[in-house]
Amino acid sequence: MRRGRAIGLLIAAVLFLALALQPQLFAPLLALLNDPGQQIIYDRQPLAMLVLWHVAVVAAAETAAVITAVALGILVTRNRGGDLMTLARTISNLGQTFPPIAVLAVTVPIVGFGFEPTFIALYAYGLLPVFENTVAGLRGLPPATLEAARGMGMSKPAILRQVELPLAAPVILAGIRISTIINIGTATIGSTVGAKGLGEVIIAGLQAGNQAFIAQGAILVALLAIIVDGAFRLFER
Amino acid sequence: MIEVEGLTKRFGATTAVDDVSFRVEDGEVLALVGTSGCGKSTTLRMLNRLIDPTEGTVRIDGRDIMQVPLEELRLGIGYVIQGVGLFPHWTVARNIATVPRLMRWDRARIDARVRELLELFQLDPAEFGDKYPAQLSGGQQQRVGVARAMAAEPSVLLMDEPFGALDPVTRAHLQDEFEAIQRRLGTTVILVTHDMDEAFKLADRIAVMDTGRILQIGRSELLLREPQEGFVRQFVGLDDRALRILSLHGVAEIATPHKVEGWEVLDGAVVDQASGRRILPLAPSDTLREAASRIIWEGADSLPLVEAGMLVGAVRAEDVWRVGRRA
Repeated sequence: MRRGRAIGLLIAAVLFLALALQPQLFAPLLALLNDPGQQIIYDRQPLAMLVLWHVAVVAAAETAAVITAVALGILVTRNRGGDLMTLARTISNLGQTFPPIAVLAVTVPIVGFGFEPTFIALYAYGLLPVFENTVAGLRGLPPATLEAARGMGMSKPAILRQVELPLAAPVILAGIRISTIINIGTATIGSTVGAKGLGEVIIAGLQAGNQAFIAQGAILVALLAIIVDGAFRLFER
Repeated sequence: MIEVEGLTKRFGATTAVDDVSFRVEDGEVLALVGTSGCGKSTTLRMLNRLIDPTEGTVRIDGRDIMQVPLEELRLGIGYVIQGVGLFPHWTVARNIATVPRLMRWDRARIDARVRELLELFQLDPAEFGDKYPAQLSGGQQQRVGVARAMAAEPSVLLMDEPFGALDPVTRAHLQDEFEAIQRRLGTTVILVTHDMDEAFKLADRIAVMDTGRILQIGRSELLLREPQEGFVRQFVGLDDRALRILSLHGVAEIATPHKVEGWEVLDGAVVDQASGRRILPLAPSDTLREAASRIIWEGADSLPLVEAGMLVGAVRAEDVWRVGRRA
């Protein structure tokens, strides 16, 4: 089971690297999608470069979202977090219900085009799964374990660090995984406001009616999501 | 020594614990018994300040617990709860080391202490030290739970239904084990239980609680001989009180050490010379309840007491009956 997963992950990684670094290898295959004479491999930017930009914006937004959401999750699960809970939930829910494209529309006039609006949209979109899982993970701990920890004289920070967070880690990590996967896909829309990333290839394909562009952009995004998902799952165990 | 005075806990309009006072001497075991919701757990949890009292004072070894820093107070008090509450992500050894680590013992001392405790609770350190709680049986988990509470040699141990979740055989075994360890170390224990048998077995004194109050507190035998009218009488259960009284006494108390006629020790068993029957002899650790049962079974007037393969005396039926009889 675990072995099969690792092998699948390896195959996805090899395909991904090959397509990003040596797209020419796939040209004969991608050519089948296009009319004769159309350009097959996107060349305005090297694909590998776009992959790096894509990863960079997702990683930056996700890191910020995880820090915020885990901190919020910890805060609202402390003893007197009842009112805070409602507030935090409203905020993180808002981030998720507001479509990222709408966030882009709102933020572009304020922060301009490019990396920043995309970062903000992904950040807002990534909060909820991490927050909800942090809360669920911390609330779902066996009460006897916490009672024992308190009764034995562990301080509150020690209980959080040594008992609560390690025990809730698998659930929190699952939240981070889901949030990251969603944002790898969502990041493609960043290209509509000029952020560099794989969305650029897909949008160029849509505009020019170039199926091969769409395919190589979409496949790279999908493989990236699959690899990150698999890597998280290996790590979660 | 633990001194509790006028301890009261109110949650809103309800009074969970109502003006409770008692003392527990060093090395003594006090059982708080009563039905669910009688306030016994709340009382216990106020002693290590998991719940803060509304009124009243608690002094442990002369110090008011409200004047001691919270963590320092708890580090000095062993705490065992139903459901054990072992840390599932830590090994057995790491679990037991919790309090010593918090007290910053050095590594060698912690390792030695963990090994000592595992051996004390009959768990092979080589086999169990590196296991995780999920790999243990219920009885083994409970042993580790008690070992963990005793790790830093606390002078006081609080136990809340410690053996509640175990099957009767394992429970009895653990109770015996715990009793022996407690006697040896002289730990002061407050035990919360709803199981009267457990209270009689482990406690020197018993406090019967109902609706937040202590109705009666006293030595186990007193509770059986002179139970208060009403709830205590009902809760203690009087149908087999003679047998329960007998279970509080050891055979050594009434064995007659005179020269015993008519018996002969043969390969570990005792043979009754008149009838030629083999009799299983009593051992000094047996209680009078066991003696009574065997006397009835053998249809005998007295039974031999054998220690280390030597016939050392006899336990006479009439003496057993006298101990169990009303005053």
